[in-house]
Amino acid sequence: MSDAAMDTSGAAPQPTKSLMTEDARTKKRNASERRFRYYGIAAIGTGLFFLIALLTAILTAGIPAFRQAVVEIPFTMTQEQYDEAEAAMLKTGIYTGYFIDGLSAEMKERGVDIEFDKAAVDRLLGKVGGQLRAYYRDNEDQLGQPIGFEVAASSRVDRYLKGTFTRGDLVEGNRFFMPEDFDLIDAMRDAGIVKQVFNWTFITGVDTGVDNPGGAGIGASVLGSFFMMLVVLVLALPIGVAASIYLEEFAPKNRFTDLIEVNISNLAAVPSIVFGILGLAVFIQFAHLPQSAPLVGGLVLTLMTLPTIIISTRASLKAVPPSIRDAALGVGASKMQAVFHHVLPLAAPGILTGTIIGLAQALGETAPLLLIGMVGFVARYPEALIDGFLEPNSAVPAQIYNWAARSDAVFTEKAWGGIIILLLFLITMNTIAVILRRRFERRW
Amino acid sequence: MNDMRIVERDVESSETKIAARKVQVYYGDNHAIKDVDVDIADKTVTAFIGPSGCGKSTFLRCLNRMNDTIDICRVEGDILIDGEDIYDKRIDPVQLRAKVGMVFQKPNPFPKSIYDNVAYGPKIHGLARNKADLDQIVENALRRGAIWDEVKDRLDAPGTGLSGGQQQRLCIARAVATEPEVLLMDEPCSALDPIATAQVEELIDELKQNYSVVIVTHSMQQAARVSQKTAFFHLGNLVEYGETGQIFTNPVDPRTESYITGRIG
Repeated sequence: MSDAAMDTSGAAPQPTKSLMTEDARTKKRNASERRFRYYGIAAIGTGLFFLIALLTAILTAGIPAFRQAVVEIPFTMTQEQYDEAEAAMLKTGIYTGYFIDGLSAEMKERGVDIEFDKAAVDRLLGKVGGQLRAYYRDNEDQLGQPIGFEVAASSRVDRYLKGTFTRGDLVEGNRFFMPEDFDLIDAMRDAGIVKQVFNWTFITGVDTGVDNPGGAGIGASVLGSFFMMLVVLVLALPIGVAASIYLEEFAPKNRFTDLIEVNISNLAAVPSIVFGILGLAVFIQFAHLPQSAPLVGGLVLTLMTLPTIIISTRASLKAVPPSIRDAALGVGASKMQAVFHHVLPLAAPGILTGTIIGLAQALGETAPLLLIGMVGFVARYPEALIDGFLEPNSAVPAQIYNWAARSDAVFTEKAWGGIIILLLFLITMNTIAVILRRRFERRW
Repeated sequence: MNDMRIVERDVESSETKIAARKVQVYYGDNHAIKDVDVDIADKTVTAFIGPSGCGKSTFLRCLNRMNDTIDICRVEGDILIDGEDIYDKRIDPVQLRAKVGMVFQKPNPFPKSIYDNVAYGPKIHGLARNKADLDQIVENALRRGAIWDEVKDRLDAPGTGLSGGQQQRLCIARAVATEPEVLLMDEPCSALDPIATAQVEELIDELKQNYSVVIVTHSMQQAARVSQKTAFFHLGNLVEYGETGQIFTNPVDPRTESYITGRIG
């Protein structure tokens, strides 16, 4: 008060310089601030560019794995034809004949005339006779009725139509594909009986051998990953949260707990393949758990995820203001009541986020799985729930690795498709983490 | 100044509730409380005053063993409540804190409803046999906290949504809900405006009918207004302890006089 009053008593001080013009120092400072902002924008721009490039690459290479070329022709089988075929010795051969007749008739009707033999149909459409027979044996009531019969084209047809396999790519002497087959594909396309459908086999199917890359699916390995995540969640969450609560709220602060803390932080940085070797030595060679089983994979990934969960849980416990603990203790709550009634609920969103991020990390992990044998060829689904844990299985990233290592370009395409599936899972999990965080976050 | 008025007060009860003898508190190597001897009477308001860092809050927190939560803190000497040494091995700090309630400097309601804030203590101590009982306890506590009329229509609203003064009165209601015998208040008005402060002070005056209230305050006017006895702490020592009127009008120790006249602190 008094100082301000004194100032006004003298003459008004002359302004030394105008505030309208920047002096040299201010100019420099503003320039460096502007520069820093540009660095930031450039950094984010670079990041975004690579992200977009990556996503574009994955999507363009992976989306074809979700599409499948099928040949659909209207088809009618009479009771007599059916009886005749069923009475014959080589039943599927006769069914193939029926199909070829139907196919050429349909193409002629649509104005395309081309000669082809049974071997060409075998090469392009697989064992159509068997499929046709299986269909009518299951649906005898359809005999005599016109149906639209759909048959999946082989992977090479698929790739030729998608443009990733051209006449120039064909190697001389390939017994799976002849040069004249290109003409037949062109003819079928011109006739308009080839169409693209969503490839459910890729989602629900199991791995196939090199002779049938088109039929390979990721379903079994998704299930393998699912069972592993179940093991990780059931083990890592309670162990991790219990360890963090003890360390953060109850443990005395001494050298020993300091040592534990440092080691937990170090464990988070241990390369995952080391956990794989550990799992191989402890769970398989010592404890004799079944090889390649999701149970063992889950145990290894639990070890790997624990430090992540412990670190994030401790961070969120630390973030709960001490005044809440004081308040609880002040009304006579025991230490445990204070933690479980007040601190833990407030830390829950952070714990959940950390857990889900840990799980997502575990889901994408391949290296430890290589060592415990979860990269094998798995061509069937587990039959019972317990088999899901104990039967050999693969995991999504291991399956991707497996496919990427095979020479056939169709498998490469499937590998990209698998990456899309994996990314979808990761995005879903991270979205759940964000939603849980928003939902349970409480302000104080 | 009206603020400094010393009201006529009679210390009705001279019965000692808390007796501290030769209390020493160490934070690691730092000797924070030195040789404090003090007798706190039942059903009176006792104020602890002194400059920042003089140890008055530390000493207050010793009275319900809140310092147990600080690893490096060590307490020596005897603190007797109703003749029982609260640092005895057989004493359970949880039971002690139910008997000696505490209100903190910063209002710290739980991030729960107003009802749950008050009901939490009675619930964990099993003071209510049924829902109706609990409702009654909550209502009584909120009435004694002088906040019932403001919140009775919104008991389900979050306690953190109240204003600062209301939050602090809610915290007082929460503390009295567990039926303590002693109420410790660590600068309960430092975060409040004058109106809220007046409400809390009025409340303290009422609370002394039933409780022994110990209040730490930075405001000497507040100490003069609400307390019957005042203790002046300086650099970890209890410099002077006596009737509030005597401390403020006729201090014995020159340091007390310097502090209350504003020359140190």
